[in-house]
Amino acid sequence: MVDLDAGTLTTRELNLKIKALAANGAEEIRVLNPQARHNLAVSVLAPCDITFEGSVGYFCASLMDGPRVTIRGNAGWALGDNLMGGTIVATGSVGAAVGSTMRGGEIFVGGNAGARAGISMKGGTLIVAGSVGFMSGFMMQKGRIIVCGDVGDGLGDSMYEGTIYAAANIESLGNDAIFDRISEEELISIWETLEGYGIKEQYQFRKIVSAKKLYHFDALERLEKTVI
Amino acid sequence: MVRDSSQIWTPSVIQDIHAKSDLGRYRVRGFSTFQRVPHFDDLVFLSTGLTRFPLEGYKEKCETRTVIGKRFASEPLVLDTPIYISGMSYGALSRTAKTALARGSAMVGSSTCTGDGGMLQEEREGARRLIYQILPSRYGLNPHHIQQADALEIVVGQGAKPGTGGLLMGVKVLDDVADMRDLPKAIDQRSPTRHPDWLGPDDLSIKIEQLREATDWRIPIHVKLPACRVKDDVKLAAKAGADAIVVDGMQAGTGASAEVLLDHSGIPTIAAIAQARDALREIGLYGEVSLIASGGIRSGADAAKALALGADAVAIGLAALIALNCNRAVEGVDFEKEVGVPAGQCHHCHTGKCPVGITTQDPELEKRLDVESGAERVANFINSMTMEMALLTRSLGKANVHSLEPEDLAALTIEASAMAQIPLAGTDRVFGR
Ligand code: SF4
Repeated sequence: MVDLDAGTLTTRELNLKIKALAANGAEEIRVLNPQARHNLAVSVLAPCDITFEGSVGYFCASLMDGPRVTIRGNAGWALGDNLMGGTIVATGSVGAAVGSTMRGGEIFVGGNAGARAGISMKGGTLIVAGSVGFMSGFMMQKGRIIVCGDVGDGLGDSMYEGTIYAAANIESLGNDAIFDRISEEELISIWETLEGYGIKEQYQFRKIVSAKKLYHFDALERLEKTVI
Repeated sequence: MVRDSSQIWTPSVIQDIHAKSDLGRYRVRGFSTFQRVPHFDDLVFLSTGLTRFPLEGYKEKCETRTVIGKRFASEPLVLDTPIYISGMSYGALSRTAKTALARGSAMVGSSTCTGDGGMLQEEREGARRLIYQILPSRYGLNPHHIQQADALEIVVGQGAKPGTGGLLMGVKVLDDVADMRDLPKAIDQRSPTRHPDWLGPDDLSIKIEQLREATDWRIPIHVKLPACRVKDDVKLAAKAGADAIVVDGMQAGTGASAEVLLDHSGIPTIAAIAQARDALREIGLYGEVSLIASGGIRSGADAAKALALGADAVAIGLAALIALNCNRAVEGVDFEKEVGVPAGQCHHCHTGKCPVGITTQDPELEKRLDVESGAERVANFINSMTMEMALLTRSLGKANVHSLEPEDLAALTIEASAMAQIPLAGTDRVFGR
């Protein structure tokens, strides 16, 4: 275990140290006093365990591939932005755009998430134990969003593919998002996933998918017609 | 004078109404605006006489080396010419076209740019310098590719379609284009226009810091703006920490855009450059933040005028495609039969049926473009442009293209004078000042 005190380092110095430690095979890195600073642990591309002892700002653990990150606190906007692989756990609540454009890996939020959770997601799994804000899953392309609490307006607006599971009140579905039948196997798989994060309650989830009505323009000019 | 037809209800207006009454939606097309707007042709250079001495046009050295993004980046983009190839996606363009552009740009010591949809390995390998775009869609965005980039460009918007995201008709969203973008095959892809993870300029500054941290403050971060409210936008982008700002005028090209945006939004490139220059001056960052101009640049003369107005470099898109053979009646290709118009009038990039294999995903059409000879034509063209710039610069008595200045220009029309803030030829008067 290597301890880094963010209170004595600039963001630049801290990130350089984290990346160097990860590249050299350090297994566990603990960051003390993160001071809710933006852009911590950005683009760490080697596997390792990183724990933040406190809240972090925007873009924490973004553009990342491999590590396991734990935040003992809250996080600002775009936690895990464009995550490729690895896992992120925030014990508290997170701001807007958690998991924006993530392509793989898993993010777990112990508290609530702000607006636009999982926006333009392209893969992976985003789990929120609490509630999420408006326009979550907007233009989602692939992957899974699991929300145990309430959901704001416009859920899954213009989503292409991917699946959203929501257990409590949904303010409204977005354009082209529809409810679909959830299978017993899917429910069991979600419960198992949640159990891994210590959630034992067997929520009755509803499943939301794309109606696929926005895939095409209603009409095409002669030369625009697709070949398949 | 008696005219024989209406100047308002022209044949093309009538045809447009017919098309829309059949279609029931806005029309989409490629190429660029069809509007006549003040352009570089409305400016001329004031070469030497007795007040200035020319350099020998064919012999004396004229520097064209260009450094972009030295504000914060420890490794700015160093190019042998101030002309590079702008972002055009793999998807809008064929793999062959992307590879040819990359190799052509490398042959002249310049750069190309990924565009939307991710980085092609052939493009990375073929290019000497490669700018990696970060767009609202984030299609194919990969942190490992960020590490391979020579500069990053955050796209706020583009001149051909300000205020909207990318557009790629289903005919082009096939196989690996769909896979790279994580999209279902054959959908009419209408991309987001707002970035998913930041909204205003304050967030943008944090986004820029994120990309700097991801690249260890090594490479420049550009911000590309559609030319609309240029003065305010340029100031905000500069304050957010951009190393370089690209202003993309309304004459910019595109593979597909709603026609209504192409023709009715944005301002002309000459006006955009003048405004961007003044904006940077007003906040004391002119010369520190690099200014890149794009939108309708077709020749060394256009590029030289852009530099004289205040740009550090120019990006070419459509001109590079034309160098690749766009709209050229090459042997065995029948434009009339394939796209319904003769070579020279084609603007059908969005249909995916490009008769010369540039803006298509059809493997048979793609075969019509040869990478090696295409790369050579692109290199020849950029070389010709660079030589034209150098010739004009020497004729003005200067030994470095970056010494060109507004003082070297005169405007041919009142509109161009007002937009570019250049005196009208034969007068001392700058209109609109
Ligand atoms: S020739 Fe190809 S690239 Fe040129 S305008 Fe036509 S479709 Fe577009």
